[in-house]
Amino acid sequence: MITLKDLSFSYLKPNGEPVTETPQLNRVNLHIAKGEFVLVCGPTGSGKSTLLKALNGLAPSFTGGQLTGAIYIDGEDLTGKEPHDFAHLVGYVNQQPEGFFVTDTVIDEIVYGSEQLGIPVKDIATRIKPIVAVLKIEHLLERPLSSLSGGEQQRVAIASALVAGQKVLLLDEPTSALDLAGAVEVLKVLKNLVKDFGITILLAEHRISRVIAEVDSVLVVHGDGSVTKGEPAKQFNDDRFAPPIIQLGVKLGWNPLAISADKAAELWKAKNHNFEAKDVSPAGEPIVSAKNLSVNYGSLTAVAPTDLDFFGSQITAIMGENGSGKTSLCWAIQGLGNRSSGSVLLNGSDTAELAKATRLDQVAMIPQRAADLLFLHSLGEELHESDVFAEVAEGTTAALFQKLAGRIDPSIHPRDLSAGQQLAAVLSIQLAKQAKVLILDEPTRGLDYSAKRALAKQLQQLKSPDRTILLATHDIEFIAEVSDRVIRLESGKVVSDASPLTELAWPSPFASQIAQITRTPGLISIGQVIK
Amino acid sequence: MLGLAFAISASLAVNPLTLFGLGALSMLFVLAFRDQSPWSRSVVFYIRLAGLVIAIRMLFRIIFNLESDPANPLLVLPEVNLGLGDMVSMHLFGSISAESLQAALTDGLRLAAIILAIGMANSLANPMKLLKSTPGALYEIATAISIAINLAPQLISSLNRVRRARGLRGQSKGIKALPGLVIPVLEDTIDQSMTLAASMSARGFGRKGTQSKARLTLTRFTGLAGLVLIAVGAFLLILSPTNQVLDLSITIAGLLSTVIYIKTSALGSLRTRYLVQKFRTGDYVIYLLAAVLLALAFSGVLNF
Repeated sequence: MITLKDLSFSYLKPNGEPVTETPQLNRVNLHIAKGEFVLVCGPTGSGKSTLLKALNGLAPSFTGGQLTGAIYIDGEDLTGKEPHDFAHLVGYVNQQPEGFFVTDTVIDEIVYGSEQLGIPVKDIATRIKPIVAVLKIEHLLERPLSSLSGGEQQRVAIASALVAGQKVLLLDEPTSALDLAGAVEVLKVLKNLVKDFGITILLAEHRISRVIAEVDSVLVVHGDGSVTKGEPAKQFNDDRFAPPIIQLGVKLGWNPLAISADKAAELWKAKNHNFEAKDVSPAGEPIVSAKNLSVNYGSLTAVAPTDLDFFGSQITAIMGENGSGKTSLCWAIQGLGNRSSGSVLLNGSDTAELAKATRLDQVAMIPQRAADLLFLHSLGEELHESDVFAEVAEGTTAALFQKLAGRIDPSIHPRDLSAGQQLAAVLSIQLAKQAKVLILDEPTRGLDYSAKRALAKQLQQLKSPDRTILLATHDIEFIAEVSDRVIRLESGKVVSDASPLTELAWPSPFASQIAQITRTPGLISIGQVIK
Repeated sequence: MLGLAFAISASLAVNPLTLFGLGALSMLFVLAFRDQSPWSRSVVFYIRLAGLVIAIRMLFRIIFNLESDPANPLLVLPEVNLGLGDMVSMHLFGSISAESLQAALTDGLRLAAIILAIGMANSLANPMKLLKSTPGALYEIATAISIAINLAPQLISSLNRVRRARGLRGQSKGIKALPGLVIPVLEDTIDQSMTLAASMSARGFGRKGTQSKARLTLTRFTGLAGLVLIAVGAFLLILSPTNQVLDLSITIAGLLSTVIYIKTSALGSLRTRYLVQKFRTGDYVIYLLAAVLLALAFSGVLNF
């Protein structure tokens, strides 16, 4: 179905020279059969997206850069063609369905591509039916797109990419903005698309553990320009992007690696294993206390009235699906956010009533898009500005940054840092004044496994008896790695408040993947397993 | 459409009460029909703008007062003579008559009513629907317009997000804070537009149909000529009512040319329409209302 011959791609500087010495993709030769379900993985920034975009013309048309070599799809030579020349063969779905929608109701969106391709109206009508049935969106057709949940939106995006009869579907991290339930929904339908319609799927995804057992082959974009393709179990020699299940296999020397949870559980049971006890910090002094805190937006309850204390030396994870009130709770505690009732006391004064400068000193918050806080032209300027603003000795922020992220050339532009490095920069800027409260909203979004491990280490370093750390996320594996306490929100209500060792352990419905595989009390994260 | 009728009537009306009524009526329409979509929230912005326009108009009339000694002053302020010479009677402040203030108020209200009428159209009309009801030939233009309209609310929402985020870091004051605000917002906007363009292109937007070159030239020419003729005709009609036959014929020629353009370019077009927006009774009512309003405005009934 897809054949690539000597495909190379490099981004170019304004003067026409390549940005890096080795191209992003270097002489890639590849063949993908009809109806093959391919998982595309690789570390962040390795060129997964570029490879997918090259397969529908978006690279280089929309990304800039230079592409050489040849692309054949369904026997057509599409080398050097514009994206709209690929449109009848290739459907494309990206991370954020919202930004990708052209119209405003589900049915308009689904038929948009077919209209552009000039498919006769009665053919469109007959094609819609089976597709919306597989994607389970029949009941949504008349709804406005903005009223759908993220998972529903993503399924609509998939439908609209296929209704014109496309034979190839490219998905670029389609679940990265979704919570677990939404992601599972989306991944479930992909298998059916291959089965029912013989569609060839290339899925770039970082939630690998959910799909790895379902795919036919795994394609690894290594980041040095090379791309390899092979059986799922044989493709993971690089733990930058390996999911916990693979890491476990590598650690214990399983050969071949287990790719399904059942197989892994079997292998685990076959032998006796040792593991370290999870290091859970006990609660220190209470740092902030929320009393009767609630947040309403009109008639909608984002956070129901609740009393919560947060303690020193602890990392508290606030866990919940999208829309469960995590972000509202974070902002309400920080003090700038909406509050309908209650108070949040820090050192005896309410965070909402603190003077602006005092609040900035004492409460550090990292919003969902941490990069919004970076706006100067170089990393060095950012770190210097932070020293000046926080009125601390020159170099304080830079020292903190180096502790978190290592030595990095200060002349680099903040936008050229990786997502993990940007986060480290924002963390060190926000903590230059030794804030007592650190709040992170969804910090692991867009980070690969190695960046997440780095962040977990950084957070451990930042723990101190006079600081409490709050972490809002739905990333269970990350919570298992770092947290000392887990608060679970469901539609704005605190439904549980416990140690991760009970909340995330087998047989809790929120068990981490390691807990599900090992079914061993007290074992929840890969870090505990001993070789 | 109704918005346009309101705006035209407002520009023709002279009576402040009528103007006030028109403004209020357009706001009433907004309140009655708006939904929860992002563009319907933009109405607040238009109301503020309208208020501001009235206030500025009044203020300027008070400051740049051109009357010298009105018969019945309403407000007596000390006069500041600018001393621009004897020929120019130019001073700031001074006594102001009620008539003068009323004239300023009327002017302000007229502008405000026009703004509110546009605001009504903008907050009630869903830009995406506009795309559906345009004839095929105008598709490209309509797409461009609807994207432009959509960008405004997106800009505001990303501005809010970034402002909130910047509040977390503490801002440098004054002009230095600007890049911190502008850069992420601009980046957002450009990203969003690029994503949208990529999405449209990836789904086949921009494919060429099977039109011959000659026909393409013809369609482009008639389209351009039509637009120019309509513009000139409408301009003459409103400005100089002296030679109405000529003006009308120019406008009609323009309309004809446009119709030819729409017909010819729709012929070789590749695109199909799955669900064409049908006129509903509500739409007819709106057009009827607009027509009645225009007729009233032109006949001068609204000016009592």
